[in-house]
Amino acid sequence: MKHKFGVKIMPREVILDTQGRAVEQTLKLNHLDVEMCRVGKYVELEIEGTADDARLKAEMIAKKVLHNPLIETYEVKGL
Amino acid sequence: MKKIGVVRFPGSNCDRDVFQYVQDHQYQAEYLWHLDQFNIHDYEGIILPGGFSYGDYLRAGALSARSPVMKSVADFAQKGRPVLGICNGFQVLVETHILPGALVQNSGLKFIDGWVNLKFENQSTFWAQKESQKNIRLPIAHGEGRFYAPQAELEKIEDCGQVWLRYESNPNGSLNDIAGVLNRTKNVAGLMPHPERAYADWMGGIDGWSFL
Amino acid sequence: MNQITHEGKLKHYRISQAEYEKICSMLGRPPEGVEWALFSALWSEHCSYKSSKIHLKKFGKTLNQTVVNAEGENAGVVDLGQGERVVFKMESHNHPSFIEPYQGAATGVGGILRDIFTMGARPIGLADYLCFGNIEADRMKTLVEGVVKGISGYGNSVGVPTVTGQTNFDPAYNKNILVNAMAVGLLRPNEKVSLSAAKGPGNCVVYVGAKTGKDGVHGAAMASESFDENSEAKKPNVQIGDPYFEKLLIESCFEVLQKNLVVAIQDMGAAGITSSSFEMSSKGQVGMMIQLDQVPVRDSSIQPEEILLSESQERMLLVCEPQKFSELSQVFEKWGLDAVIIGEVIAERKVKLYWKGHCLTSIDPDLLVEKAPVYERPYHAWKSQNQTEKIHSNLQPKDYISQLISYLGSTHGTARDYICSQYDQRVGLMTARGADHDVAILRLPDSKRGLGMTVGCRPSVMKCDAQLGGFDSVFYPALQMAAKGIKTLAITDCLNFGNPEKPEIMSEFVAAVEAIRDASLILDAPVVSGNVSFYNETLGQNIISTPATGLIGLRETVAQIPEDQFQKIGSQVYLLSSVSAKMLSPYFENKKSWIGKIEPQKTGQFIQKIQKLSLLTSVLSTQAVGRGGLGVSLARMCRPGFGFQSFIEMSVADLITETFYEVIFEVDHDAQHDFETKLKAENIDYKILGKVTERTFNLSQEIHVDLLRVNQAQNKGLGGFIENLA
Repeated sequence: MKHKFGVKIMPREVILDTQGRAVEQTLKLNHLDVEMCRVGKYVELEIEGTADDARLKAEMIAKKVLHNPLIETYEVKGL
Repeated sequence: MKKIGVVRFPGSNCDRDVFQYVQDHQYQAEYLWHLDQFNIHDYEGIILPGGFSYGDYLRAGALSARSPVMKSVADFAQKGRPVLGICNGFQVLVETHILPGALVQNSGLKFIDGWVNLKFENQSTFWAQKESQKNIRLPIAHGEGRFYAPQAELEKIEDCGQVWLRYESNPNGSLNDIAGVLNRTKNVAGLMPHPERAYADWMGGIDGWSFL
Repeated sequence: MNQITHEGKLKHYRISQAEYEKICSMLGRPPEGVEWALFSALWSEHCSYKSSKIHLKKFGKTLNQTVVNAEGENAGVVDLGQGERVVFKMESHNHPSFIEPYQGAATGVGGILRDIFTMGARPIGLADYLCFGNIEADRMKTLVEGVVKGISGYGNSVGVPTVTGQTNFDPAYNKNILVNAMAVGLLRPNEKVSLSAAKGPGNCVVYVGAKTGKDGVHGAAMASESFDENSEAKKPNVQIGDPYFEKLLIESCFEVLQKNLVVAIQDMGAAGITSSSFEMSSKGQVGMMIQLDQVPVRDSSIQPEEILLSESQERMLLVCEPQKFSELSQVFEKWGLDAVIIGEVIAERKVKLYWKGHCLTSIDPDLLVEKAPVYERPYHAWKSQNQTEKIHSNLQPKDYISQLISYLGSTHGTARDYICSQYDQRVGLMTARGADHDVAILRLPDSKRGLGMTVGCRPSVMKCDAQLGGFDSVFYPALQMAAKGIKTLAITDCLNFGNPEKPEIMSEFVAAVEAIRDASLILDAPVVSGNVSFYNETLGQNIISTPATGLIGLRETVAQIPEDQFQKIGSQVYLLSSVSAKMLSPYFENKKSWIGKIEPQKTGQFIQKIQKLSLLTSVLSTQAVGRGGLGVSLARMCRPGFGFQSFIEMSVADLITETFYEVIFEVDHDAQHDFETKLKAENIDYKILGKVTERTFNLSQEIHVDLLRVNQAQNKGLGGFIENLA
């Protein structure tokens, strides 16, 4: 059985989000006012196995490989 | 003296180099600030220099393409006047759809600096007019220089003679070894290599001189 | 305060009991509130140089009349004549890079660039000096890739070419890598040096650049500590660099400096706003009133202590006259940056920090800056180490060839290609010689002269003897420059050592500092700036003491510079010598020993002569004999189609000996007679080694190999060595 997961990776709140800052600034310069802008990454995974195993594996991949705990947080969602 | 406009985005870093290059060619050089539109009749040509405009965040060139100065550049190009985009400037022209295709991350996933051999495929109506130079050598320095277009568009680019320059040995995975392209009317040209970094012997090469 | 919380507090703020008592006696009372944080930061090893200061003063003697305006600033200004001046400095970012290699290295580059442009000099070149562990060691591949990407990501984007550097690999750095970066800035004839001393009571104190976040809080204290296994818990300190913001900061700062809108300027480096405000006040012999609640912040929950200690990147503090503020802020606004008045200069010599109307402290800046503790750590006078009567090798000719080939394709032989191909080497239109050469040469835009730039320090020599290694940290790079016709003008250093509280480490430190000073005096090339990084140890394991240096020099033109590799079939290959000491290359013989003695005067004269000879147009290529010995140096001069045929029989021992010092010269065949006449006139010892040939690499009857194999081994490195490990 195949299971699909979406992993959202965002800069940690306390850490400076340089990309979000640049995009926000540019939107403002172009009079597209936004209150806040943060930029992260999105990864989709497809994993073979039982629902629980696949979930654990997705969590493990996100935790150990996809995100850098020093500067990012992640969230795994079943699709 | 004829005037060439050098577009300056926040994060441009070859702006001063291109300014010097233009002046050394006995043109008057003038900076064009990203937030200002300009009078298209004041300039003989426009150059978009390399660098990391707006930090290259989101996608290289993506944020710059939406700036006010690009409205004037598009207008200028539309009128058949000469525009040249070098490296990041090429990325901006592509993002603005003044030139076809897209520039994505190098296939090696790394920034690359070095010299490449190139050959001209087609002629621009203004830039690098010296016909004798079919094969040239120029420096490159980029992380997102891999030319990409969907198959159908790529064929159209080839058929319409819009390939300007090809790499002899492909450094970044560009489709069809494309290093530079032209618009349909060939007044607008863009390339990843840096002609302004090779126009004197002490720089290691002189093939960049004849681009202006 | 009870005993437990008192000791806990000392530990948290990394203040010793003796220092605490000193603070109490200076203040006449115990420190309160934010004062703990202020003393913690400014009295840290990183900011105060408390263990090294008395020894660094020795560099003062090296200054000569080419150094102008060194007084009180971060770096001396070197006068090149013809109105051109250069500011340069080298700094370490070892600990942050070990924790987070990309950001650690990137912010290291950002910091050193700010040190340079804060003096009004436009950065024109960067260099790296890197020491990694064994490439197979835990995390090492990630560290190498991350550090290189960090330097390239920052330097390339901000538009400063990285034109030279050095990379070393040794297991001694497995748990403590070294990431040092040097930046060189140029002041053109009409440009003024900007100073950091605050002046003029009533002037505004202006905060410019990125908003303050909680980045790197307690970072300066962290950098002064050894790693232990709890480093994981220090994660939240990571600072994030943004080269885009730095670029905006550079351009806007130059604009306000050129418009003469600034009285004083300093970057917020280690210990952020604390060090800049206190140092600017102390240097200017004035005080400052600062409203901390006016500081632009990223996160409204931030506390005053965190603001004081934040190491958020890309921020500057400047002083301007009130009537010029509106023009100044318009410039920054144009570049999309905030400029905010956060205080004013006052005549009273106190820094007064306010938070929402309350005065947090009012304190004499000198107590934190000038009166920081100075320690004379115990050390012993240097006795030479590992010096022996003779050196010999049992390595057989056949084994030598295979070892040579594998060396050329190894991490040591090839890592540099992988690294420098990721650095933009030509942005700025000055690069005549980039990182693919032994020595970088930038063409100065006004006088068209060549500015030479290189880094030095060979850990393999330091490992043998710290005094020999200290001298070598200056002499070897100076010789490499001389071999390209460049006269060394000035030196910077970045002294990476272990725990200074250990006498054996301190002894190496003192020996190296004195050797660098003596070499500098002999070359008449002052040490104009520097940085010390102590506590490079993990779990009691020290690194090899590594006094990295950066050198700059001048060449009258950028035309006809000798190449690094052979140029012409049939030309003669000479070996010019002035050997005072020798050691077997540790890459071929794992023996830690050397023979001979250090003869600084003799070496200085040799370097001078080599520099003059290298200006002859008949000299086609040159290379100082270095890492791996004569055999490796000759192999490195070969390239496809250009090999070497020896005229004399060279033994394995000759080929693997690293000499202090020798230089290989390739001279046009037609000019042979003239060249030899010059050598005799200059009284230089020389040998004709052989000639340049088309196909072979022949060192003796027994030691020869097809040139193709040499070429293949060398090419293996490009992009290969890291990927192959996976």
